Amino acid sequence: MTNNSNRLSQADLVTGIVFVVLGLTVFYLSWTMPRLESRGIHPSTIPGLVPMILGGLLALSGLLLALRSWRQGASRHFSPLNSLRAMLANEESRRLLAMLILTLSYALILVGWLPFWLATGVYIFVSIVLFERYLTAKPVPLARCLILAGIQSVVVALVVTLVFQEIFLVRLP
Amino acid sequence: MFMMEELGMLAQGVGHFMTPMSLFNIAWASLLGIVIGMLPGLTATMGVALLVTLTYGMPGDQAILTLICMYVGAIYGGGRSAILLNIPGTPASAATSLDGYPLAQQGKAGYAMGLATTSSAIGTFVGIFFLAILASTLAEFAFNFGSYEFFWLAVFGVVISGRLTGADDPLKGYIAGLLGLLVAMIGMESLHAFRRFDFGISNLSGGIDIIPAMVGAFGFAEILTVMRRKLDAQVIVSQGRTIPHFRDVWNYRRTAIRSGIIGTIVGIIPGVGEDIGSWSSYAAARRASKEKEKFGKGSYEGLTAAETGNSAVIPGALIPVLTLAIPGSTASAVLIAAMYIHDIRPGPMLMIENPDFLYQVIAMLLFTTVAITIYGLSMTKLLVKVLSVPRQKLMPVIYVLCVVGSFAISQQMFDVYVMVFFGLAGYLLREMKYPMAPIVLGIILGSLLDTNLRRGLALTGGDMTPFFTRPVSLVLCLISVIAILLSIPAVNRLLLRGLKKVRLVIKWPVKNGA
Repeated sequence: MTNNSNRLSQADLVTGIVFVVLGLTVFYLSWTMPRLESRGIHPSTIPGLVPMILGGLLALSGLLLALRSWRQGASRHFSPLNSLRAMLANEESRRLLAMLILTLSYALILVGWLPFWLATGVYIFVSIVLFERYLTAKPVPLARCLILAGIQSVVVALVVTLVFQEIFLVRLP
Repeated sequence: MFMMEELGMLAQGVGHFMTPMSLFNIAWASLLGIVIGMLPGLTATMGVALLVTLTYGMPGDQAILTLICMYVGAIYGGGRSAILLNIPGTPASAATSLDGYPLAQQGKAGYAMGLATTSSAIGTFVGIFFLAILASTLAEFAFNFGSYEFFWLAVFGVVISGRLTGADDPLKGYIAGLLGLLVAMIGMESLHAFRRFDFGISNLSGGIDIIPAMVGAFGFAEILTVMRRKLDAQVIVSQGRTIPHFRDVWNYRRTAIRSGIIGTIVGIIPGVGEDIGSWSSYAAARRASKEKEKFGKGSYEGLTAAETGNSAVIPGALIPVLTLAIPGSTASAVLIAAMYIHDIRPGPMLMIENPDFLYQVIAMLLFTTVAITIYGLSMTKLLVKVLSVPRQKLMPVIYVLCVVGSFAISQQMFDVYVMVFFGLAGYLLREMKYPMAPIVLGIILGSLLDTNLRRGLALTGGDMTPFFTRPVSLVLCLISVIAILLSIPAVNRLLLRGLKKVRLVIKWPVKNGA
């Protein structure tokens, strides 16, 4: 079994278990959902009916997925810590991690905390500098990178803010 | 007489958009669509979803016009990067790269792009033809559908989409469909107005809005995928003739028409999109070809099949959208959501409530095909420049649009969080080889499935019989069950063994007689 397919089948084992838990949780929540007896509705039209079926089916599918990957040998050499270490050593993963930190900080922290134009400008500037200068095999000269990223971030921040505020009449966060 | 009436309505549809504003919208939206499609990582679904957020202030007909131009443009544009970079701009163009890229390596990039342009136009025309003749018939047929049929249609849609898009692993396709259906269960249900799974969060009581979810799953998730890759690909410089010789188009007319028909059929099947339309047309063309050995090495026929096949899916996918409100592809799922935003209610009633709309949609497709053909044949070299924009400069801007676009619809940060959640979940699921289409179909069809199952049961007082005895219900039920059974390996093995036995039994007397 190749490294990649082994990793996929290990991921399947974990997600299979997650789906079993999720499916059973949905089933339980649907089972205990109010059945609106006081309104005199027919018992086969209770709000929990369909989610209950779906939860059950998801748990069943998760179980099949987990069993299949178990049979394929996913449990062998299963070390989440080692997988994580290997992942962090990989350049692609470092790029992904950087992108995640940037995008999540922008959407979840910067927007709403800073004025929209400033948040957008900062996010674009840092993103471009990081990926053009540091997380690349062919770094752009620092001065050029800073100037171009500065110009682009100012232009994008202003254009997006103005277009959405003035043309689409959106009250930006 | 009947034909004349339809032609008159089509002429009205075309006339409806012969205004400067409409022509302007067609011009920019088709061009933007081509550019979005060309850029690897930006898909048609993402383009349409993002554009919904920008066009919600427009009148309904203009908004749907720009969205359809974006959709057709992006599917066409994806072929450019498939030919020049060997990276399909959208998944729909994966088959295009098989012959397009070898042609570019042979110095025929311009010609390949020209042939792709005419093939796309032919594909869209074939699809439009079927849209025109099938839509009203299907709507009339669906007019008699009750809760039983609609319930099975929803099940059929999710099951078939899960089975066909998860071809290597149907189990993951089904899981994706179930996840989508579960997302649709969040919020107020329509039968008793009960709030399900809102956990006291008021934003959840209205349910998950599909647009931010799609912007996340198709925008944010793709940005992460694109930025993760280490290397940028090299663009092949195009030169030489771009307008195809008439004889090349004429020689492959059978392939083009066959691919157009296959693409349209794939489009009609719920949630099975352009990529499968393209692959199936390509496979069928290779099987029927006299020059099989050229496929994969720069065959004009292969390129024609792939590009005709993916473009024909679009009008095909609009057939179930307009007649049943069931998406034929992921981008058309966004179109359904956009139609609801603009008070256009797709489904069997559409032909009665808004009979002109079908012909307006056909006119939109015709206009955008003309625009794309003009752009495609005249601006080849200019359009290639788009591919030289470095992704680290482009992707942050797209992400800003994902954030602000999700926010803009109802001006609440909650939708931005929905976008981020679906982006992360979509990325993880895609990395683990789960298809996205069944999730989208599940979200769109969840309430149809839920409401119609319970409404049907309410009508019969809890009796399930009509769900299995009415002819259409029975057929849809059988297809869904067979699709699920056939994806179980043990059943497949059993079936193969059974078939072998049958073959032996049939052969035996023949041998004996001999």
